[in-house]
Amino acid sequence: MKTTFKEEEKNFVMYFEGRLDTAASAEVEKSMAPLYECSGHDIILDCTALEYISSSGLRLFLGLLKAAKPKGSHVYLRNMNEDLRQVFAMTGFINLFEFI
Amino acid sequence: MRLSPHCEALLQEFIDLRPQLILLDNKIFELLQTTMQQQGIELNSIEHRIKGVESLAGKLERKGEKYHSLSDITDLIGLRIVTFYTDDVDKVAAIVSQLFDIDWSNSVDKRKLHDFNSFGYNSLHYICQLHEGSIPFEIQIRTALQHTWSAIEHDIGYKGAVKLPPQYRRQFSRLAGMLELADDEFSRLRTTMTEYRRQIQTLVKSGNLSDVTLSTDSFRSYLELHPFERLNQRIAAVNQAELFPASLMPFLRVLEHFGMESLGDVQAMVDDLSDTAYQLALSQLAVTDLDILSESVGLQNLCVVYALKHGGGRDDVKMIYDTLYGANESNAILADAMIRQYKAIGQKQ
Repeated sequence: MKTTFKEEEKNFVMYFEGRLDTAASAEVEKSMAPLYECSGHDIILDCTALEYISSSGLRLFLGLLKAAKPKGSHVYLRNMNEDLRQVFAMTGFINLFEFI
Repeated sequence: MRLSPHCEALLQEFIDLRPQLILLDNKIFELLQTTMQQQGIELNSIEHRIKGVESLAGKLERKGEKYHSLSDITDLIGLRIVTFYTDDVDKVAAIVSQLFDIDWSNSVDKRKLHDFNSFGYNSLHYICQLHEGSIPFEIQIRTALQHTWSAIEHDIGYKGAVKLPPQYRRQFSRLAGMLELADDEFSRLRTTMTEYRRQIQTLVKSGNLSDVTLSTDSFRSYLELHPFERLNQRIAAVNQAELFPASLMPFLRVLEHFGMESLGDVQAMVDDLSDTAYQLALSQLAVTDLDILSESVGLQNLCVVYALKHGGGRDDVKMIYDTLYGANESNAILADAMIRQYKAIGQKQ
């Protein structure tokens, strides 16, 4: 699992590549730390190359959403494939995020 | 500006006293703000200010000889509490008179100064002191509409040096009457709506759900009964999942789209379709290790089952997702997947 953090046009963007499962989640959580300093920025989680997400991955995304909302930042999920989108629908989390 | 030695002395005393007045002003403001919050009174605003040196000098020039000491000037510190509703003016006034000692002989209720056939400035002016003693300060209490009227009247009524002809004064007076009427109507509306909500809550609690029209208020009251909790718990048990809090209010539009008219219709869906909704969720989740779910999971599955049981198809399921998540072509793919699952549990479309 690989993550890359970039600042693009004032947005904080994180690129996810591979499988975000329980084994990868601890490392990914550390790499997501800069996203928590998001005052004044929106966050884009780019899922173009994300192949799989487990409950641990969902928790990371939800934790970030919970921290970003009070700061007025939006969390967008970008280019999520249909299988992953179905996971978000199945768990009922789809309406918590904004998809682009 | 020329001031008498007496007035000059008062002005200098005021300048020396200003730092203490600022502290006192902040103390009173914070006390008022905290108390109003504790009493659950929502206010439009609380304004507070210390009189400006220029402004006091002007006052002293005009009528300085009548003030023997600074404490005879009661508006060195001024606060203005602006309420939304006229009922709240009296409530706030009662609280203010508990918090401070009121100098009733110098306090004015402008509302009572009008004859039955005149309208105009309506505001309560209380001259107060701290219980433990302090320099006097003034608290004005009025509604937002009174405040607006007063600000406009001040702006266009008093700025010019020319005295206004009677017809313009009458126009002000008519507007004041209209705002007074509007203030009363807003208060009446609030009372009516509070009563309506109370009735709805009673009906919901007593279980007479068929008598309750489906609306934002009634659905919110219904949700307080946690009608989907049992279904959510059953679904969560599939993977021993944690339930993440979520608002269910967005589902109201879906239910209205189904043509549901009363809470009875919603409850009938819960009673009749919870088993199928559970089966549908089970078929999706059992093959995963997802152990975190949103609290919307039960109602979402109920809505899908309801749409399909009532002869709906792909477009109807897509409508649910479009309504909840925003229109998106990907929602058709979600709808297809859901219909496949629905058939997989032995349900006929």
